[in-house]
Amino acid sequence: MQTSSVQPVFKLELNHKVTPSVVTIAKYDGTHPCLTASAGYDKIIIHHPYGEIASGRAQRSHAHGEVSELNVSQAVIALAAGPLKPDSSRDMLLIGSPSQILAYDVHDNSDLFFKEAPDGVNILITGIFGKYHEMLAIVGGNSSVQGLNWEGNEVFWNVVSGKVCSMITFDFDKDGENELLIGCDDSYIRVLKNNQFILELAETGPVTCLSPITEVRFAYGLANGTIGIYEEGLRLWRVKSKQSAIALQWSGESLACAWANGRLDWRDGSSGRVLRRVQMRAGAAAMLLADYRSVGTPDLICVSDRGEVLGYPPYHENVGFNATSKKLPSEEDRLAITELLNKKQALMVELQHYEANAANAGLDPDDRPATGMPTNTRLQVAVSPDENEGCLGLAISTNNETIVRAALVLAEGIFETGETLARHPPLHLLRSILHAPLKPPRDVPVDVHIKALVGYVDSEQYHIFELTKHLPRFSMYTLAPPTLVKNKTDSYVTFRITERIQRICIWINQNFLLEHEVEIENENTKDLYISFLCLRDRSHLDMSFAADGNVKLTTSDIGLAGDLIQSLATYLNLSDLQVR
Amino acid sequence: MDYDLTRVDYILCGITYPDTLKILPNPGHKTQQKFTIGDKNGVLQCLCIKDEEPIIQFKTLPGKSITSVQVALTNGNYIDKIFAASGNEVKGYTRKGKVFLAIETSVSETITSMCILGSDLILCSGCTVTHYRDLREMYSYICEDRVLDIAAFATPNSTRVRVLVLIANKGAVIIENGELLARTQISSGPLRLAVPPTHRSAEVCVFYGAANGSIGLIQYDLFHRTDLSSKCLVEDRGLGSVVCVGWYFSNNGAHLAVGRHDGSVQLYLVDLDNITEQPRLKYTYFCGEPVTSVCGGCVGTDESELLVSTFSGRVFALRSQRLITGSVSFNNMTPDALASRRNKLELEVARLEKQTANEREKYQRNTRSLQAGLSTPPLLDIQYELKEAVLNGWQEVVITAGVPLDMLFIYCNKQLDVQTDSAAVLSICPPQGQTKEMLATVRCQAGTRRIWLQMCGRPGRSAMEMAESTQVLIYVLPTSAPRVARLIKFVLPALPQYSLYEDPDSVNNRVWCELRVSGGFSVAEMTSWLSEALPGDLPRPAANISFARSHSFLKTVLLCRYQRGSAVFKSDNITTIAILKDVLANCSMKRGIRVDMSCDIPQVNCSMLFKNLKSDFVSEYQRSKDRILEKAIGALDLDVNIVNNASEPTLCEEYQRIMKSSVEDTESKLRFDDLVATVEQWYMDFCKLSLYGRDYNSQRLRLKAALQNCQVEEVENILTNNNNSQIDMEY
Repeated sequence: MQTSSVQPVFKLELNHKVTPSVVTIAKYDGTHPCLTASAGYDKIIIHHPYGEIASGRAQRSHAHGEVSELNVSQAVIALAAGPLKPDSSRDMLLIGSPSQILAYDVHDNSDLFFKEAPDGVNILITGIFGKYHEMLAIVGGNSSVQGLNWEGNEVFWNVVSGKVCSMITFDFDKDGENELLIGCDDSYIRVLKNNQFILELAETGPVTCLSPITEVRFAYGLANGTIGIYEEGLRLWRVKSKQSAIALQWSGESLACAWANGRLDWRDGSSGRVLRRVQMRAGAAAMLLADYRSVGTPDLICVSDRGEVLGYPPYHENVGFNATSKKLPSEEDRLAITELLNKKQALMVELQHYEANAANAGLDPDDRPATGMPTNTRLQVAVSPDENEGCLGLAISTNNETIVRAALVLAEGIFETGETLARHPPLHLLRSILHAPLKPPRDVPVDVHIKALVGYVDSEQYHIFELTKHLPRFSMYTLAPPTLVKNKTDSYVTFRITERIQRICIWINQNFLLEHEVEIENENTKDLYISFLCLRDRSHLDMSFAADGNVKLTTSDIGLAGDLIQSLATYLNLSDLQVR
Repeated sequence: MDYDLTRVDYILCGITYPDTLKILPNPGHKTQQKFTIGDKNGVLQCLCIKDEEPIIQFKTLPGKSITSVQVALTNGNYIDKIFAASGNEVKGYTRKGKVFLAIETSVSETITSMCILGSDLILCSGCTVTHYRDLREMYSYICEDRVLDIAAFATPNSTRVRVLVLIANKGAVIIENGELLARTQISSGPLRLAVPPTHRSAEVCVFYGAANGSIGLIQYDLFHRTDLSSKCLVEDRGLGSVVCVGWYFSNNGAHLAVGRHDGSVQLYLVDLDNITEQPRLKYTYFCGEPVTSVCGGCVGTDESELLVSTFSGRVFALRSQRLITGSVSFNNMTPDALASRRNKLELEVARLEKQTANEREKYQRNTRSLQAGLSTPPLLDIQYELKEAVLNGWQEVVITAGVPLDMLFIYCNKQLDVQTDSAAVLSICPPQGQTKEMLATVRCQAGTRRIWLQMCGRPGRSAMEMAESTQVLIYVLPTSAPRVARLIKFVLPALPQYSLYEDPDSVNNRVWCELRVSGGFSVAEMTSWLSEALPGDLPRPAANISFARSHSFLKTVLLCRYQRGSAVFKSDNITTIAILKDVLANCSMKRGIRVDMSCDIPQVNCSMLFKNLKSDFVSEYQRSKDRILEKAIGALDLDVNIVNNASEPTLCEEYQRIMKSSVEDTESKLRFDDLVATVEQWYMDFCKLSLYGRDYNSQRLRLKAALQNCQVEEVENILTNNNNSQIDMEY
């Protein structure tokens, strides 16, 4: 896809550097939007094309006539704005410094409140959340979220396991009340409802952007360059790039994404296919939606780190950016012809392969060419725990004399370097079976994609076999052999559930990787005792489900106990569980 | 971009070789021209375009791959003929597709390019240029290396033909009647020639496009018989190597059209009256895969357009936007014509989809059957090229495929640093076992047909490792069915930076270290051993070989002279000799051939070497210091406007200079650390080759410290003192 020559509808220079992601747009007088950004350590700039801000602390900038500067004598970490005051539609500016939050009324030049933030400030947003009917300022800290009302009083507070990197308010469960979506640097998107976490979505890297799309969809971006869209808690698609996404916005009918290197692209919402692409002259600092031209619809406003601001109207695929550059029908036909020829070319190549294959079919199998392989070659993949190595052993084998030349295992977040694990045995060790170790570092379900290259030792070309294997959440725990010494740890959690033991068995079979499924011997059995061994550190995990509903999980890892309870509760549809 | 051209797709054909698309000259008054293209399947077709719909004039049956196509007209009669070369055959076709000429030549290798001038036919194949007149062989000239392209010139008042020949290894020669008239070396490595359309016959004058992406001019004065001279007109500027050149005429004048391996097409406006003027870049288009031919002509409309063919076999025109949006009536075309073409194509694609689905089903059924047949898909069409090392020692491999690629899997038997295209995701895999291998995968963006990888051995490897060849295996995995992965193998040379070609007779005034090798090896064996050490093509084995290369970064020279049983290598760079010695020892041992090696190291070598490098070294040191300061200033996060405020300077002049220079050269080409390591290595190799077993570690540490602090005198002292001590030892 070429960089297209899409022209912005407006373009301006702030003549100031802009700190990436510390940018907001606010209507300080209630009607006119002003771009507000951090321009270096403690300086905030406010762009006001619709006339001067009254006066006060903001000083007119030397570098630009329509820009005012505001110095806050502390590093600016985050900015946000919103109509916090219940009696006013004017936006208040929230300034987050490393340890405090200042709410400032730019129009009246008065401080609204000033609040210490002992947990630090990473991100600020404003929004309506849960049962609170007023606009709140929500602060994401190093391990907590905090909601403040317009007077600076705390209305809620909760602990988050990990630094908060991004937040949005979003009606996740469609009950008419907004939940808070929190993207954390421990690779989870968490959903907070009524001060309780109702869901965690496991991702593969720190979650740096979140953006609402429709009632049921939201977009996310990770520090490792992945962006994607969730619909009702399920991922629709994701794509990965080398760059990391600075901002995501839903504009027109497509998802706009600003990348750290200054590339902007518009993607199809249901597939992630790139529709349009533009390159800015400098790295991207922010991308926001605002009606900066006062035309009634919000434009996409892209800010580069050198202070260049570009505005793009909502993009519609068949119309292009503006109606005037509407393509002539003949042009459309030409593009379609190019596209059709692309398709034809791909089909012809595939067809040629089959034809050549058929032409060679009559050959004697003994005198095989360098690319050959018996047609009924199959690939089998097995995963089994390897206690000696402390990992899961992946065995890939063919069903005949062909060899597995190499295997690529693709999965995110389970390898220490990159996204692939490869095995390429030396020539003298080539067999029809190949082993590869897997060590998922955390307990999340993973899909591993396997590409195996199958052929003969001296082949010039190998057949690719592709398979996907699902690793359940607790695949790193294997059934402890009965001869094993008794568990000595005395840390445990207990709780009570009223559930048939058969259902518990199904949960175990679904979430653990077992060679033989756990089965209940007869209908009358009411209790279950099972013991696991962790492959990572050979620690023990004992689970006992007693007949009276008492459950006792014995493990020295409190995180694991939490994960188990969470998983079990989700499976059994429990919303409330008393645990000791 | 000055011109606004739009792509109009015409046809699909098989994989094409460079310069196999030609536009037929105009017959009489008919204005629209026909074009002809030959592909790898051996199909030659001639087409004309009516209402953007291709109409086939004739099409031959598949056969041997067509590697060169030329059109020629017998002067006066306006009879144009098409000549297509495949293998060692040349066939001549009339406009109607009738074969009027078919010769099976005596050349042993595939004909790579040819030239037709009246009744003269000049062919290039392998290393030879063969001249036929009236189908009788006149002479055959053997060049020292592969012939890349030729241009033939008629001489005034004579039937003799002069031929300008481009030879691999960066040479260009002029041949007349099988005799060499003049020769030259062009370091940018010209690959393709384009004769200006109105050249004066008294002068041989040709534009060339080079491997490094630059464009230049080769001139030769026939009367004065001076030397062949060359001039670079357009510097490379990071564009890909040139695959084809052609001419395109429009109302604005003559344009040199350049098609490149990176998928770009450029139009340069050339002043034909003053051809040594720098051509002006007017237009660039990216098509995403290597461009194999470009030529201009009135194909689709009455106005001139640029016809382009690509590696995978797309043929399209780049046509002025005015002709497209202006009005449909401009080219007397009904709007329905396009729509009907689109519909036709849609139907065809639907039919193909069905057929492919059937075949796929058949194929899959086979895989389930108990009776094992053999699945033998043909080899994927993949071309690759290992390029010579650039300034900082990275070597590039360019992989081109006829189908979109999904992934590459790279395996190397040694530790290797890899970089790739920004659009692809490179992922280094965790090591398998304890060995020093490198495994990596590259995931390509959708639709990638061409991808480059840059590779560089890790510095600080032991001598043993350096002497072993670095073998790289790349498995190329395409996106589409059938799912097969092609294996590409190559060897990275031990001295990748000796990529510049020099004239062996003109390198003088150096302090040579000498390595003499004697033993029972043949010239061919020595060539194959050297291919493990040096990048690029080596001269073909002959009785007596002599060539010179220079280091792309340090400018040191390596001179090689060898014949059966004895070889002499000279270099002013001691490390080069040390590495070469290890490589040759290793290779000969593997072959079981006994060789005797002796080194002659002049005592002043290291200090002389450093003397040559001193100015670079000092300036590089300064630059590295500047960069540290610049980082510190950058960390202050100063406001650009305040810094640039001339009336109230906030920074001292020194700092302002650094800030400015950082904008100008963001990427310094020489790296200080590399230089330190290089000098240190010189010293170590010197000690190893000349002072056997002497402890030099303390000296080495002193040298390193002196180098890092840029104490030039101290460095010189250490390097020369050491020589003195060696003299002491000898006496």
